[in-house]
Amino acid sequence: MSDLKKEFVQLLANYGHIGFTFVSAILVGLGAGIVLDQKVFDGRTAPWFTFIGLAFGIAAGYKTLLEIIWRTKKEEKEKQQQKDKREHEE
Amino acid sequence: MEHPILFISIILEKMGLPVPHGPVGNGILEQLCAPYMTYTWLVMVFLFIVAKLTLGNLEMVPGKGQNFWELVIGGMDDFFADNMGRELADQFFPMIATFGLYIAVANLIGLIPGFMSPTSSINTTLALTVIVWLSHHLIGFRNHGLGYYKHFMGPVWWLVPLLLPIEIISNVARLLSLSIRLFGNIMAKETLLAILFMLAGGFFAPLPIMILGVLVSLVQAMVFVLLTVVYFSQAQEHAH
Repeated sequence: MSDLKKEFVQLLANYGHIGFTFVSAILVGLGAGIVLDQKVFDGRTAPWFTFIGLAFGIAAGYKTLLEIIWRTKKEEKEKQQQKDKREHEE
Repeated sequence: MEHPILFISIILEKMGLPVPHGPVGNGILEQLCAPYMTYTWLVMVFLFIVAKLTLGNLEMVPGKGQNFWELVIGGMDDFFADNMGRELADQFFPMIATFGLYIAVANLIGLIPGFMSPTSSINTTLALTVIVWLSHHLIGFRNHGLGYYKHFMGPVWWLVPLLLPIEIISNVARLLSLSIRLFGNIMAKETLLAILFMLAGGFFAPLPIMILGVLVSLVQAMVFVLLTVVYFSQAQEHAH
């Protein structure tokens, strides 16, 4: 594989899963809220736990999003540092 | 989605074995004869035979087959070592590399008429995901002992009530997103191909989707491996 293609696939792998991760975090939060409302408290507390779960789910979605961005930023920084070091040595 | 022609299912039916027509059969024999199971075995046999044929006798000066495997395995090994350290990469290389090869072959096999991708069934992808998810917690507990819970607590103590549910939700969401992403992508590819074959197969309508399918197959295998590596390295790291 040429370098450009490899980079393309790697970029797709790095960022292509953001959408699914975001949505599944929200769904897990919402689902946990609904279960708490309907099964654990028998609908007495509805709809409050659903809303709280939804809020936590959205927060978790943003957290995973930020983690992905931070991770790639860190990697880029490390790469840049290594490059600078090499240039400095030369 | 009923597949048009699956040759293994036809052979099994001719042999008198029950092949389920729904997604999952009832009874253990029918479940074993479900298409995603039989094609999983086909992929496994394929990988075994190809590895045996090309790596049966290792040579100092590699031939074509050995060269190919050295490139693939060497590339994966470097990639794992870069991302999660030499020690962890050595321990888990067999598992992750097998998953990567299996998923790549299983995705690509669906592009050939008469075959289906085992990964287009949620059962296969969920099984793979559960193994990865459990083992990344195992790595966490092994490296940090009970102190692993600090990974879920956030940086400062007064943020704990806010961050604990968020961390737990995002951790469970990994299970969902990792399995459904692979399943959804491959199932969409298979369904689209089947519909296009049915509608305008004579005019080569599925060809562009097949080209995209090759890309999607490789990228999804890559995503699975990459995320596995990332989860493992995060479980091994010290808590923030």
